[in-house]
Amino acid sequence: MDKGLLAYLLIPLFAAVIIPFAARCRRKLADIIAAVTLLAGLANLAWLVLRPSVINGGFADIPGDGLSLLLVATIYLIGLCVTFFSAWFMDEELPNRPAYYSLILVSVAAMTGVVTTSDFFTLYVFIEVLAVTTFALITTDESAGGIEGALKYFFLTFPASALIIAGLAVLLLTLGSLSFENLRIFMASDIPSGPVTFGAALMLLGFLIKSGVVPFHAWTPDAYQGAYAPVSAHLAGIVTKISGVYAIVKLATLLRFFDGRAQGLSGMLMFLGMLSIAVGALAALRQKDFKRMLAFSSISQVGYIVLAAGLGTPLAIMGAVFHLVNHATFKTVLFLNSASLERSAGTTDMDKLGGLEHSMPWTSWTSVVALLSTAGVPPLSGFWSKLLIILALWESGFKTYAVLALLFSIVTLAYFMVMQRKVFFGLKTRAAENSPEVSAPLLAPVVLLSAVIVALGLLFPYFYTYVRVVTERIIL
Amino acid sequence: MSTFATEWYLIAIIMFTGFYCMLVSRSIVRQLVGLEIVSKGAMLTLISAGALTNNLVMAQALLITMIVIEVVVVAAGLALLVKNFRVNGSADMWKLNGLKG
Repeated sequence: MDKGLLAYLLIPLFAAVIIPFAARCRRKLADIIAAVTLLAGLANLAWLVLRPSVINGGFADIPGDGLSLLLVATIYLIGLCVTFFSAWFMDEELPNRPAYYSLILVSVAAMTGVVTTSDFFTLYVFIEVLAVTTFALITTDESAGGIEGALKYFFLTFPASALIIAGLAVLLLTLGSLSFENLRIFMASDIPSGPVTFGAALMLLGFLIKSGVVPFHAWTPDAYQGAYAPVSAHLAGIVTKISGVYAIVKLATLLRFFDGRAQGLSGMLMFLGMLSIAVGALAALRQKDFKRMLAFSSISQVGYIVLAAGLGTPLAIMGAVFHLVNHATFKTVLFLNSASLERSAGTTDMDKLGGLEHSMPWTSWTSVVALLSTAGVPPLSGFWSKLLIILALWESGFKTYAVLALLFSIVTLAYFMVMQRKVFFGLKTRAAENSPEVSAPLLAPVVLLSAVIVALGLLFPYFYTYVRVVTERIIL
Repeated sequence: MSTFATEWYLIAIIMFTGFYCMLVSRSIVRQLVGLEIVSKGAMLTLISAGALTNNLVMAQALLITMIVIEVVVVAAGLALLVKNFRVNGSADMWKLNGLKG
């Protein structure tokens, strides 16, 4: 456990405990405590990283391995946006309102635990805590769709946890310990790695199920579509990325794919990544529901991260980490916009919507920014991460994968253009007649995240320095 | 046959039983029972690994934490199940097909 970042885990947990007591007499206090806790954490992190002296020093004196710090900042940013959005989105009368904010804070604490831990057992514990809070959050509005999504999530993530435990047992049997450092040292030596690789493969299988990569993606669209609207942004933006994809990237660096260890596993990961890019993009083309289309797009973008993690060279890991952060920002913008649409027009069915460009200009234009970034149009942030991934593939000689990744990036642009034309451009439909723009507090998080997308794209040289420091520290 | 082989042979049978139970039953309650059998099998792997590497103290500590987590998971799962029965009026997995693309 990284001691320097422990406070970012404990403070949200403490706030989550006091919220139900504080909200007993003044119900509004629940939103305020949650938002203030996350905002304070974010301000603290910004001070830690964005001081001019730290930037001029090339980020040399940041604590830990840098990756944890970056991901903690992302978790807090998305958590803050979701909390702020739900404070105005949620009905005042909803009985479990304080519990909702407590659960959001517990999930933020659990995610912080996942990214700061340094042994596999702690990782497993925090992932389990995250899963339990997540399916409680999915059923917030007690709709039939939410319960169905939560049940499917439940019945696929817990067998995955059993596989992770079996992998832990094999690692304990062969390595004698569960810390990341021991695995790294073992893989750096010349001992044949058969049984250890088998244990790692069992764990990878569990994490692949949890991140919804293609052969195991059955739960993803249902859970994202059925979930309570702001929760689906939280779930798609950050929760599944931390509970599944982060662990895959971490294992990929620990198994040292870049110097030729465990090649079979590396090849399998790359194949599954490519498969989910293809299947996710093609399935997204023919979806009728906005949220379901975003869910398939999410599967496709996770494919890019898994593909890069499977390759495992320093450049590819850099791309994977950067794409993880970018995916959190742009997918949250799109899901929050779908929640705004649900509030304003009453539906997310793309055939019933149309011509919302003039009545909802802010929602429309932030969607355009987010979708162009997803598709990888320069100079937005998504372009740089996809460029890094494709360059890394080309450089290592996987030219077919590089070309396919580039082609499916164009398919991404295609399905988002279809979405934008159906929902925002074109003629007004009956559902769109009386749907005004949502209020300013609901737009604020979306505009903030769009600004982050543009800023990450334009200030890429600074960010590149940071991500390079991260990669140098995690690949020793 | 060595201890290792016997233990892990039995564990494999237990896990297979659990997965089979999850695959063939339509009722959500039975699927939860199957899930529990699978995770009990997984826990046995850990305690067996600890015993075989003379690391039993650590394995026991890990296992007690896992049992605590398991209790929370079962409680949350049963709550979901009851809620599902109240909303949909059935506990049949195949009738959960409201979300489609």
